[in-house]
Amino acid sequence: MPPVTTTATAAASTSPEVPADGLVVVVKQDCPTCRLVAPVLGDLGATVYTQDDPAFPPGVAVRDDTDLDASVALGIDVVPTLLRREGGRETARAEGWDRATWRELSGVADLGADLPEWKPGCGSRTHDPAVADAMLVRARGHELAARRVELAGLEDEAEALYDRGWTDGLPVVAPTPPRVLRMLAGTTRAPDEVVAVVPPNLVPATVEKVAINAVLAGCRPEYLPVVLAAVEAACAEEFNAHGLLATTWGAGPAVLVHGPIARRIGVNAGGNALGQGTRANSTIGRAVQLVIRNVGGGRPGEVDRATLGQPGKVGLCFAEDEEHSPWEPLSVERGVPAGASAVTVFASEGPRGVVDQISRTPESLARSLAVALRGVGHPKLAPGFDAVLVLSPEHVAVFDEAGWDRARFTTTLAELLLLPPEELARGADGIEEGMPEPTRPHPKFRREGLMVAVAGGGAGKFSAVLGGWVGGPGGSSPVTRIIEEA
Amino acid sequence: MHDLAALEADGIATTFVASSEFVTATDAQARALGFASVPAVYVAHPIQDRTDPEMAALADEALPRVLAAVTGAPPTA
Repeated sequence: MPPVTTTATAAASTSPEVPADGLVVVVKQDCPTCRLVAPVLGDLGATVYTQDDPAFPPGVAVRDDTDLDASVALGIDVVPTLLRREGGRETARAEGWDRATWRELSGVADLGADLPEWKPGCGSRTHDPAVADAMLVRARGHELAARRVELAGLEDEAEALYDRGWTDGLPVVAPTPPRVLRMLAGTTRAPDEVVAVVPPNLVPATVEKVAINAVLAGCRPEYLPVVLAAVEAACAEEFNAHGLLATTWGAGPAVLVHGPIARRIGVNAGGNALGQGTRANSTIGRAVQLVIRNVGGGRPGEVDRATLGQPGKVGLCFAEDEEHSPWEPLSVERGVPAGASAVTVFASEGPRGVVDQISRTPESLARSLAVALRGVGHPKLAPGFDAVLVLSPEHVAVFDEAGWDRARFTTTLAELLLLPPEELARGADGIEEGMPEPTRPHPKFRREGLMVAVAGGGAGKFSAVLGGWVGGPGGSSPVTRIIEEA
Repeated sequence: MHDLAALEADGIATTFVASSEFVTATDAQARALGFASVPAVYVAHPIQDRTDPEMAALADEALPRVLAAVTGAPPTA
C-alpha cells in the first residue's frame, strides 16, 4: 500500500543531463520492438537510455532512466525512439523501428539488414498509469505544504483515517499527494491562497487544505471550484457557522448550486435530487462539512452540541433545475447575474416531504404549501427559523399554468403565512410553547427568510421543506457566492 | 471563547456563563485555543424553559462565582 500523506514528498524534477549533440535512443526492455532493435544499438554511436531495466540492452553502455526524467525531458511518447540533437535542440526523430529512417538518421547504410523493414513501437513508460502518480509528485509535489502523515504498511487505510478522527464516520478517500495534486488541477487558484478562516477554531483554510478535504469526501477535481465557493460562503460572518455548529438545534450547512456549472459537473437537480446516488450531490456538501471538522475543529460531542442532528449533516447538496423551471432562477433573485454559476449555503435540516396530489389551482396548492411551511421549528413560533421550499416540477407547473411567476407565488405565501396572534400565544391550543403575549399578526418567516428553488423528478405532486435555523443576526443568514471557474 | 481570548489579550478580565451541558464544548474550544484553564461559570441546565423568577434565581446563585471569575486568576495557557 502506498504511504498516505498530505504533503509534498519530493522537490521539483530536476532537468537531467541529456546530450546536446548526437544521437539518442530511448528503449525499454518490456517492448518487443526494443528487443528487436537491441542488436543494432551498439552500431549507432548513440546515447542509449533505458526506461525499465538498466541491464538492457545487454552489451551496450546505457544510461539508467528508470526515474524517467530524461524521457520526460526528451518528450518521449513511444519506444524505441531515435533522436538526433544538435546544439541542444532536437533536429530529427524516428518512433518505432523504421529501417530507412533509422539508416538516414544514423548514417549507417547497412543498419539492421537482418531486421524487418518496419515495426511499430510501444508506449513510453511515461504514459504508464502505474508511474504517472510518481511523476506528478516529482513535478509538482513542491506545491504542497501540508504535513506528511505516513501509515504503517499493515494499517488498513480506511480504519487508519477513521482512527485519526478525519472522517464523519463514513470511509474517506486517502488524500495522497497525487490525489491532492489532481484535485488542485480543478482550480487555477494557488494552493497557498487562503480561502476562508474556518470556525470554530478560526483556522485559515488554504486552497490546498480544501482540496485535501475534497479528496477525503470523494469529490472529482471539477467539483473543487464549487467546494471552494461553498467553504467561503459557509465561513462568511453572516452565515455564523460557529453558532450553527454550537447550537443544540440539528441544522447544518447545505449547498445549493446555481448556473451552468451544475449541469457541467453533474449536480443532480432532477429525480432524487435530495437523495443518494449522485457523486457531486453526495460529496460536495460532505467536503464542506469535512473542512469544518478537519480544519476548523468542529466535531460532534465537542463544539457541535446538536441534540439530535440529522443525516443531512453528513453533507447536503443539490442544484436548482434552471433548465426546466418556468421561473427566474433563485440565484437571480439573490443578485447573481443570469447565466453565472454560484452557490448558496444555508442552514438546513433534512428535507420533509409535502403531499398535495389533488390541488389544480394555484390558490389551493399555495395554501397546502403554507400549512406545511408553518410547521418549521414549531407552528406557533413566528418569525424564527428560515426555510427553503423545494418545489417539484408538477407543483411548479400548477402555478406556471395559471400565470403565477416567482414573485406572485412568494408574495402569496407570505400573505398566507401572516399568522394570527391568538394562534401563536403561549397556551393557545393547550400548548405551552408559543409566543409571549403576541398582539398582532406575525409573519412566519422574516423578510428573505424563505427561499424557493425548483428541483425534482418529473413525476410526483410532492415538494419538500428544508427547515433551517434562527434566521438573521443572532442566527444564520444564507450566503451566496459566485463560483470562480478556470 | 474567542471573545474571551480577545478581551483577556487586551487586559480586560472576562468570564462567560453557560449551562452545564456546555462543559465539554468549552473544554474542546479551550484546548484548540491553547488555554489550560478558563474561568467559566456554569449554571444548571436547562435554560430555555425557565420562567423569569427561575432565571433570576439562577443569576443570583451564579453571581458570586461570576465575580470570583473576573477578579481571580486569569486564564492560563
